[in-house]
Amino acid sequence: MEVHLQLYSILREKLPPEAKGRAVMQLDENASLADLLEELNITRRVVISVNGEHETDRSRQLQDGDEIKIFSSISGG
Amino acid sequence: MSHGYNGKILHVDLTSRQLSVEEPEEAFYRKYMGGSALAMYYLLRDMPPGVDPLGPDNMLVLALSVLTGTAISGQSRMTAAAKSPLTGAIGDSQSGGFFPAELKFAGFDAIVIKGKADKPIYLWINEGEYELRDASHLWGKITGEAEAAIKGELGDDKIEVLQIGPAGENAVRFAGIFSMSNRANGRTGMGAVMGSKNLKAIAVRGKKRPSVADKARLNDLAKWGAANLEDSDIAGLAKYGTAETTGSNQTSGTLPSYNYNSGVFDGWEAIDGTTMYDTVLRGADQGKQDRLGRDTCYACTVRCKRVVEITEGPYQVDPHYGGPEYETTSTFGNYCAIDDLPAISKANEICNKYGMDSISCGATISWAYEAFNEGKLTLEDTDGLDLTWGNAESMVALTEKIARREGFGDILAEGSARAAEVIGRGTEAFLITCKGQEAPAHMPRVKRSLAIIYATNPFGADHQSHEHDPAIEEDFEFYAERLAVLGFNEEQETRSLSDEKIRFAMASQHMYSAMDSLNLCQFVFGPAWQLYGPEDMVELVRAVTGWEDVTFDELQKVGERRLNMMRAFNAREGFDRKDDVLPEKVFKPLKGGVSDGWKLDHDEIKSATDKYFELCGWDVKTGNPTRTKLDELELGWVADRLEI
Repeated sequence: MEVHLQLYSILREKLPPEAKGRAVMQLDENASLADLLEELNITRRVVISVNGEHETDRSRQLQDGDEIKIFSSISGG
Repeated sequence: MSHGYNGKILHVDLTSRQLSVEEPEEAFYRKYMGGSALAMYYLLRDMPPGVDPLGPDNMLVLALSVLTGTAISGQSRMTAAAKSPLTGAIGDSQSGGFFPAELKFAGFDAIVIKGKADKPIYLWINEGEYELRDASHLWGKITGEAEAAIKGELGDDKIEVLQIGPAGENAVRFAGIFSMSNRANGRTGMGAVMGSKNLKAIAVRGKKRPSVADKARLNDLAKWGAANLEDSDIAGLAKYGTAETTGSNQTSGTLPSYNYNSGVFDGWEAIDGTTMYDTVLRGADQGKQDRLGRDTCYACTVRCKRVVEITEGPYQVDPHYGGPEYETTSTFGNYCAIDDLPAISKANEICNKYGMDSISCGATISWAYEAFNEGKLTLEDTDGLDLTWGNAESMVALTEKIARREGFGDILAEGSARAAEVIGRGTEAFLITCKGQEAPAHMPRVKRSLAIIYATNPFGADHQSHEHDPAIEEDFEFYAERLAVLGFNEEQETRSLSDEKIRFAMASQHMYSAMDSLNLCQFVFGPAWQLYGPEDMVELVRAVTGWEDVTFDELQKVGERRLNMMRAFNAREGFDRKDDVLPEKVFKPLKGGVSDGWKLDHDEIKSATDKYFELCGWDVKTGNPTRTKLDELELGWVADRLEI
């Protein structure tokens, strides 16, 4: 399946600079958010939205066409 | 031999123009460490209660710490403290830059200022020597011009200048004190106090580096930080600025919007840190913003400060005045439903040119926007400015009118709480103030322990006085090792106000309070996501001072001591629990997004406040420190002054 990804701040550096944090990712059917994070090698604290909704459950199964935004973030500041 | 500090406090009486140097013993530095705790010592010792905050009897203390000026990230900071003209309670604010380190190099640990000069003057400190100089020709100048004039007449471009702008001269109640024309002791109106004393500026130059007990250990700690920055949780903040949090706060419903009526703002992406990096940072058009668009403080490798340059369009911005932090993009942005980053950058530039706190300024403007949109203010009230949500042009115009105290700006220059009293018409319902200070851009309806800290904090609503809830909620696993040092081993439920959460609020408040006494940057040091953790803070104090028996508990006691001194100061001014209240707005449901419908409950907050006071060892009925607690903190002399 295909998901549409947008990474922000320092996470953009997981992708080539010209991508500006945007990518279409091919994932296995039944892939979860945790699988996506592993694929991207993201181990730091992040905040995620799926189709505009805040998602804290990393086991959430993704669907073809999902729009996923991932933010690097500190909890204060 | 003493290490880390000069052992010299400069006392300045502006009325008599007498200057003198006090040389405290080592025990004094060990007990108070510096910064805010040291400032509280002088304010409680030398200032009577009940003074006019803008009168000659108020005192202004500028204090470094035993760590300031050493070669490690996050140490070049200074506290400014006085009775606040915004709140009438204790005022307190920290700032970074190069001035703090330079003052240490010039031979002093703090400056204690009282009285009022008969005409504008500035203080010149050069290699341990000091003099007062005429500043009549500087009065009225914006920060960049005054800074250049002082450096020019003293003939040294390496001089660091701390100053007020025209807003401080005009007694704008949220005027700040500025260095580099873009680093602000912004909160609680310390610039208005400085202006009321006719003290335009303090210029410093020094070359004497502080003695360090164990340079090799300090060097190891500094190198560890530099090597681990890229993998740390502040890597994004360093490169993309504090406004990198805009998107995550939007997603989790804690981006204060429409004057705190909503936790989400559709226009967030236009004003977040990633967009700022790509568009308005100096050098962004050539891909050179990492080199040209980021700035730093003395010896800090993090380089989180923004430098914005805009040369075309309606809002041109001079890079000398820096660029907006998250707080500023929020108050001038989402608070007012404005998604125009150049306009927000312009408002930030105006704040830095005229010397105003961008949090209180933007939040006071957002109060006016809500009043206008609810029909409580008309074009007649606002000098014809249309304050419809999202109107960027009016926001920029109002910011300048406030600094100049022109027309409607003169009312807003009093802060939103006083403005609501002047306007009436039910506009107090739109306030987001605690003790008269406007709330920063973190929402207690989402991060519940903020409710207790906002309500009870001695200097009003503040976001840098404890660790926010996510660290002990969904992010607990990331920070478990560090939080264990503070005594926390269990993840807490999101949006709870459990007893453990309240204990966490207090314990992390003591740590932040210690950091404000050590004057450590709270992005670089802290209990969770920061570059360095609690044990590193202990190692730093040991390496610099040579006090090998210092423990984390002792530093926590310094923080607790500072907090108790502040509460004691307020008690002396007549403050008590009746003043520890939240704005009514936070008990009403948020609208839209993931936080739609979230609100606080009066009974739950009352019960949590009881618990917090009990844990603090304060009188639950009044919220004031008890003699038992003050004695325990070796503050019996403060109890004597309170006559308890």
